[in-house]
Amino acid sequence: MSTSAIRVRPVLRPIRWVAAIVVFAILCVVPLLLSDLTFFVQTVLAAVVVTGLSLFMGYAGQVSLGQGAFVAVGGLAVAALTVNLGAPPLVTLVLAPVLGAAIAALIGWPLLRLHGHYLAFGTLAVLLIIQTVMATVPFLGGGVGIFGIPALSVGPVVFSGQLPYAYLALAALAGAMVVAHNLVNSRFGRGIRAIAGSESAAASSGVPVLRSKIVVFAVAGAFAGLAGGIGAFFTPFVSQDTYPPLASFGYVIMAMIGGLGTLWGGVVGAVVLSLWLQLLSSLAALPGLPPTAGPILQYAGYGIVLVVFLLLLPRGIVPSVTDAVSRWRTRRRPPASRVADAEEAVVDAR
Amino acid sequence: MQDLLTYILSGLALAGSFALVGSGIVVVYRVTHVLNFAQGMLAVFGAMISSTLLGGMLPHGVAELVAVLCCAVIGVIIGVAAIGKPGTPPMISLLITLGLGMIATAVVIGVWGQTPVSPPGVGGSVDILGVSLETQRIVVFLAALVTFALLSVFFARTDIGKALTAAASNARAARLVGINTRAMGLVAFAISGALGGLAGVLIAPTTAVSVASDLPLVLSGFAAAIFGGLRSPWMTFLGAVILGVVGQLVAAYGNGSYQTPVALLMMLVIMIVRARSMTTEEAK
Repeated sequence: MSTSAIRVRPVLRPIRWVAAIVVFAILCVVPLLLSDLTFFVQTVLAAVVVTGLSLFMGYAGQVSLGQGAFVAVGGLAVAALTVNLGAPPLVTLVLAPVLGAAIAALIGWPLLRLHGHYLAFGTLAVLLIIQTVMATVPFLGGGVGIFGIPALSVGPVVFSGQLPYAYLALAALAGAMVVAHNLVNSRFGRGIRAIAGSESAAASSGVPVLRSKIVVFAVAGAFAGLAGGIGAFFTPFVSQDTYPPLASFGYVIMAMIGGLGTLWGGVVGAVVLSLWLQLLSSLAALPGLPPTAGPILQYAGYGIVLVVFLLLLPRGIVPSVTDAVSRWRTRRRPPASRVADAEEAVVDAR
Repeated sequence: MQDLLTYILSGLALAGSFALVGSGIVVVYRVTHVLNFAQGMLAVFGAMISSTLLGGMLPHGVAELVAVLCCAVIGVIIGVAAIGKPGTPPMISLLITLGLGMIATAVVIGVWGQTPVSPPGVGGSVDILGVSLETQRIVVFLAALVTFALLSVFFARTDIGKALTAAASNARAARLVGINTRAMGLVAFAISGALGGLAGVLIAPTTAVSVASDLPLVLSGFAAAIFGGLRSPWMTFLGAVILGVVGQLVAAYGNGSYQTPVALLMMLVIMIVRARSMTTEEAK
């Protein structure tokens, strides 16, 4: 499979790059058309988190129900260091992904020995512990949260208003996707792909299983930390309630519906789920509905999407669409190239 | 000394509720290898339904029983979605129960709202060794003990219990001797629904239950079940006792807000220490 990947990719690469650039060009125009960018920025930041989570879930084959923990680490790095210590904003923004990765690696070293359900609950426990720490330690907000985070500034240039943060978030997303793409298409990437298939087989082929998983977890932690840092500058307020478990479940749902382990799955999942939830919350705001309609539609929206996708489209949107497209192409082409197309489909699904 | 005794006894009382939620998780996991994330929600349903029924419709005893039976039905519904489709991997089933838990949250908010309920239970208090305890708490602990004893007998002595155990230990062999493992899985979900409902019915009179109790309940139940490797009911009970007592001691002598993290840390440590033995059978 890896040899066919090498053979196919030179043909695919230019098309893919052009497609990626077109998508990002469209994404860059969108903020200019919107009056309020809160939804846009939150969605793009969620896509950054989910890109990392999708990498971890798709390649390490495990579920993290507490990815919000590392978003919180990034948010706290920015909030606590700028407000309580007066650190320069740019330095804290750089520290956010670094701390996210460091803490993910530190926690991952014992935690990633767990599998399946145990790891899912373990990561959720980590998130809840971090929430409690945020609620009790005064330096980290102490229950009231940290207000008045200064605007991000680079030298004399101050990022005021919403627009710069929209582009910062987009840049973070582009960066995260380039990192994810290069990570997967490397020797290391083939190693983690083997882990997703069978851990014992990967281990016996010489893949350092635990170390590889920790690296993927740390990369996902770095993405989450970066998103948390940008989010803290954007809001500009951070408390333990900024990172509820529901948001972390949301990241998992986004990763699942987008398609695990696909480069675009994170973006597609984040956009689809965010739009769906936004639609529901504008429905809940219609006159004549009780005030509980908001939470009801919100919870039902998360739950229904997750259950429906898991039962009907368990592989997610991106792999299903790429499969359908390549099947369609196969039918139109002469049968001679059918084998190559099948291989292409496998590569696409990655 | 008297204080210490108070904390230990109230910890034991708390253990009863952890054990009941944990037992539901264990029953489903033993038979289906699925972790039911909605187990906390079943307890919430139990509390809500019993409080509505007790509000003038049905007398004590009947109301609780109806609530427990309703929860058994809800448990089966969860089971059908989680394991109804053949070949659903356990991890996907976990996520399905997570999604069902969210839908259940929406239903509970829609029907009962977000305010905590605390239906009337057994009133009064009892003195044990000079420590005054609410009678309801003792009822919870005793009910948990009786439930666990009944579960042991059920799994070891009855035909259907043996079939459940067979489906749990080797699904293929169980199918070969004519046991319908999927039906057994649904029976397990029904039992766990009833256990979850029982937990909610019994806890609510002492500790008000709201829709937000879902996550704390399922986490404490899971933490207790971890002690038994998600399989052994009596180890789950022991785990619940340790969690309950340690939690009360931490709250009393340390900081009340560290009660949950300490329980979670204990859970993490036990999981990691036992990681090797617990994962061998799940290794691919």
